[in-house]
Amino acid sequence: MPEQTLFQPLTWSDLLVMAPELALGAWFVLLVVLELLLPRKASPSWIGGLTLTGLLGAFVLVLLRMIESHGEVISLLGDSYRIDDFASLLKLVFLAATALIVLLGLGTVQQDGVIADKGEYFYLLLPAVIGAMTMASSQNLVTLYIGLELLSITSYVLVGLRRKSSLSAEAAFKYVVTGGISSAFILFGMSYLYGVTGSVQLAGINAALPGALEQYEALVYAGFLMMIVGFAIKIAAAPFHAWSLDVYQGSPTPIAAFLAVVSKGAALAVVFRLMFATALFANSDRTAVSGVSDELFFIVLLVAAASMLYGTLAALRQLNVKRLLALSGVANAGYFLVPIGIAFTVGHLNNISEFLFYLIAYLLMTIGAFAVHTAVSRAAGHDEMKGYAGMYYRSPWTAIAMILFVLSLAGLPVSAGFFGKLFILLGAERAQAYWIVVIMVLSSVISYYFYFGLIRQMFMRSSNGLSPGADSLDFDAEEGYPSRTPGSPSPLALKEAEAGQIETAAAAEQASTEAAEPEAGASPSAPVSGLADGVIRIPWPTGIVIGVCALLTLGLGIMPGPLMELIQQVFSFPLPSH
Amino acid sequence: MDFFAKIAWIIPLLPLAAFLVLMTLGRGFRRAGAWIGSIGALGAFVLSLLVLSERLKPHAIDYSYNFSWISIGEYTLRIGFEITNLTALMLVVVTLVGLLVNIYSAGYMASDERITVFYGYVSLFTFSMLGLVLSDNLLSFYLFWELVGVCSFLLVGFWYARPAARAAAKKAFIVTRIGDAGLLIAILLLFWNMPGHALDFTSIQSIFGGHGGSFTDGITTVIALLIFLGAVGKSGQFPLHVWLPDAMEGPTPISALIHAATMVAAGVFLVARTFSIFEAAPAAMETVAYVGAFTAIFAAVIALAQNDLKRILAYSTISQLGYMMVALGLGTMTGAIFHLFTHAFFKALLFLAAGSVIHAVHTQDIREMGGIGSRMRVTAWTFAIGGLALAGIPPLSGFWSKDAILTAALEHNPLLFGVGLATAFLTALYMTRLFVLVFLGKSGSKAGEAKESPLVMTIPLIALAVLAAIAGFVELPWNGWLSGWLTDEVIEPHGSVAVIGLSIAAGLLGMLAGWLLYGKGIAGSQPLASRLPRMVKLAERKFYIDELYEMVFVKSLRGLGACLAAFDTYVIGGAVKLAGSAAGAAGKLGLRLQNGQVQTYGVAAVLGVVAIAVVVIGRRMLS
Repeated sequence: MPEQTLFQPLTWSDLLVMAPELALGAWFVLLVVLELLLPRKASPSWIGGLTLTGLLGAFVLVLLRMIESHGEVISLLGDSYRIDDFASLLKLVFLAATALIVLLGLGTVQQDGVIADKGEYFYLLLPAVIGAMTMASSQNLVTLYIGLELLSITSYVLVGLRRKSSLSAEAAFKYVVTGGISSAFILFGMSYLYGVTGSVQLAGINAALPGALEQYEALVYAGFLMMIVGFAIKIAAAPFHAWSLDVYQGSPTPIAAFLAVVSKGAALAVVFRLMFATALFANSDRTAVSGVSDELFFIVLLVAAASMLYGTLAALRQLNVKRLLALSGVANAGYFLVPIGIAFTVGHLNNISEFLFYLIAYLLMTIGAFAVHTAVSRAAGHDEMKGYAGMYYRSPWTAIAMILFVLSLAGLPVSAGFFGKLFILLGAERAQAYWIVVIMVLSSVISYYFYFGLIRQMFMRSSNGLSPGADSLDFDAEEGYPSRTPGSPSPLALKEAEAGQIETAAAAEQASTEAAEPEAGASPSAPVSGLADGVIRIPWPTGIVIGVCALLTLGLGIMPGPLMELIQQVFSFPLPSH
Repeated sequence: MDFFAKIAWIIPLLPLAAFLVLMTLGRGFRRAGAWIGSIGALGAFVLSLLVLSERLKPHAIDYSYNFSWISIGEYTLRIGFEITNLTALMLVVVTLVGLLVNIYSAGYMASDERITVFYGYVSLFTFSMLGLVLSDNLLSFYLFWELVGVCSFLLVGFWYARPAARAAAKKAFIVTRIGDAGLLIAILLLFWNMPGHALDFTSIQSIFGGHGGSFTDGITTVIALLIFLGAVGKSGQFPLHVWLPDAMEGPTPISALIHAATMVAAGVFLVARTFSIFEAAPAAMETVAYVGAFTAIFAAVIALAQNDLKRILAYSTISQLGYMMVALGLGTMTGAIFHLFTHAFFKALLFLAAGSVIHAVHTQDIREMGGIGSRMRVTAWTFAIGGLALAGIPPLSGFWSKDAILTAALEHNPLLFGVGLATAFLTALYMTRLFVLVFLGKSGSKAGEAKESPLVMTIPLIALAVLAAIAGFVELPWNGWLSGWLTDEVIEPHGSVAVIGLSIAAGLLGMLAGWLLYGKGIAGSQPLASRLPRMVKLAERKFYIDELYEMVFVKSLRGLGACLAAFDTYVIGGAVKLAGSAAGAAGKLGLRLQNGQVQTYGVAAVLGVVAIAVVVIGRRMLS
């Protein structure tokens, strides 16, 4: 069953609809040319500022489009590109996240000598985010794949931007190879699906699947399995996550944040759309969701469970903050997959709002945590957790912001992450997927251990040897894989700190301000010009990022209602059409 | 016009803003601390007064505003605030006492290094307490209820360098938690059973007031008793009263604000707020009345034998809160709120005056004082006014509110009336003892250097003394203005001469006995100890309640704790070790996968595909 209208040319009105993507593309070309003309000294911050402007402009365009279309769905290019509220909301999220990351980059670029003279550090984010936007809007396997590759290939370059750093080069190489594996899985799965259904349109696949199942059941399963696995690699879900630790560690921190938020978010959005637009279909007598469909969604839940458990368990022993955040991203990929995997049921239709709310919460807490980390790691000269030691006394406001982000990551009140997880949890409960509820709660509880380990570090006074716990956190810099020596301090120390004991040593405040990490530069990734004197300096763009993320995390933690209602109001996700 | 009621939500935000500013400033700005705290309290007080003045107009309609906070599925959680006559009155009481305590503390805490932190905590407490008062539903009420508990914990343990203060803070927190657990269960039961899971006071009132809904008598009684358990913990009623005397380890202004006038009264306020539930459960009402009566006389007896100035006042607070509970149990909410209202003023006054004394003589033992009256005239006079108000001598405020309660008691339950009267006698007795030993007679060992406190401390004393003297006139036996205003029901003015006479007689007799025993010393220097040694010993040791709890609960819980610790070490610990070694093994496997070799990552992915396929196929085969 070949398609009649496989190709449809772009019309002028289509151009208008695609204005955000096209404008970003044009802006990108302009910036490439501009960089050649600008003096070398001035270029990075100029290019960064212009990139930011472009992103904000696209944000406004998307917003205007959304307001104008009133939830109406626009399909372009022979139904391969779809602009609906789900896509528009996602685009807003991606653009906002990228804007925050550009700001963060502006904060770090001056200090990071290796990339200080590279404008592409900023403008390469534009094609990447266009890729993410294309993925969010794709209604067709081919468009989807193009978007994915556009995002991936630019990300490879961004990861390897610090050419002289071997860690960065290694990360880029690994990312390319893993990305290739992922693409191979995805293409392989797509080819099976196309083969058995004869269509690359998501709706077409959905319509043809019940018929195809009669003959080629095994191939349908194989196709979906391969595609899910391919995307699981992209979103760093366990056991397909191994690359993410090395890549996050090796790439510049803002880029790591981009990978953690935008790349992951775009791939998750695609999984969401793919699963609901193709894999959800009724059984033959049209009374319930088909058994096959059920099993396909079960695969997603399986990956979710593995990610949540692995992400938290592996993080227990992790002492490198970037790798820790990568593992936290693995666990979070699991949480994101839950609303995707539990499908729609009669009692539960809120998957999209749960997903989007958590995506926004995740965006805020992850970018916020990475932003704090840029400042802390520069002060400490390395990426280890002990760089946070005594942070509360050195830089109380940043420490408070970080505590907020960590609370949010751990899913504790009063933070956006708490409500995000709560909504997902309640959704799973309403869909009666109790086993996944148990795993979610279990992994959250386990995660408190290492999240609070980070907070405990902040309240510890490392410099004057007051804290008995400092010595037990050892890092083996040679091997690169940290290990926790036995007899780590009990959480009692933390409780005492909370009970107000922290104020006993007012004098230590002065002492710790000049606290320098004695063995700075333990990690090979130490920035060349990093001032390893222990003083946490927050450049103003970083400060804005931290402030915005912290305030919004707190705000959503107190009042999640308005945002949740907004999302629920606007979404118009296509239910299966038959 | 209900303009000020509409903006009442600003009231708690002012102290909150003060708190935030103080926390931001840090410890450096010592003088600014007092100013910022006091300005926040002043703003809240002025607004509260405006709200109250609006309520005083005839036919003021209750104002409430709420918005949806979180909606999960079909259930929407709404929170908001509510202005009724009761809440407006509480607002004024809390902000007024809060303001005076703020001013007073500028003198009392002047030499403390952490005065800014102190003002920060006080502002946070004021915010929480106002939030509690304004809450229109049990859930936010509970949040603020816990928050005032936290503030109490922080402020009792403010001088954390002293072991006694740390212990007291912990005790205060833990003992009240027992009550809080009861309240939480009550809220959960209500949530479960209320139509539409409504937790706002208006719905509760309409459901229980209408004698209906899905509530059986049994569940209503259980809920009422559990709510009362919360009130027992917070208001220091027997048997959870043990924390309140120990809480006197905190700074004295805190004792006046939190442990006399506002937070401990929150229990009474809670019962008053959910009164419709109690009215629907007669058995719970009786429990409230009897627990209150027992607490009243029990604490009064203990107060008689104590030698610590603040502890005597603390036991007196417990006793007076018992009075309020009696009033609630008898069904006269007005009596309880009226007594809460007057008590807030005279007890805050007594505490602040006591603080003034302690500030001057640096001891709390009344045996080391004596003859201070001539040196500290303002303190002595204001203390006397507060003491007379507490003892129930007309025309001071305490007399009228006590009279309202005793009248209700005589009508409904002669036994409670007798207990109330006996308590009134004891109250007068121990207050006379206190006053005589502290202010009159020969100079004690530490009284020599006593000087009058600075103006910033005496002005709040004078203000409170005026209020303690006149606050009772809002409700007179022959003119029930307050009851008409507070509750819709019109209570017949009784003007029972018998009650008034007996009440005055009890007070005067108590004072006379106190004067004879301690002032004239007709029975020797240890008048009671020599006559009734066992009784006095028993009261001095607070009826060995603390020791009993130590034996029964703490020891047995320690034992249980030891068992659990053993269980933890061997069973859980073993399991953890097992899990640890399993995780270690998994970690080795993980490390083998996470070995930095990208080809291994690829292998892992393929293995993952196989694993998923196996699980899916296995699941299908099993089902």
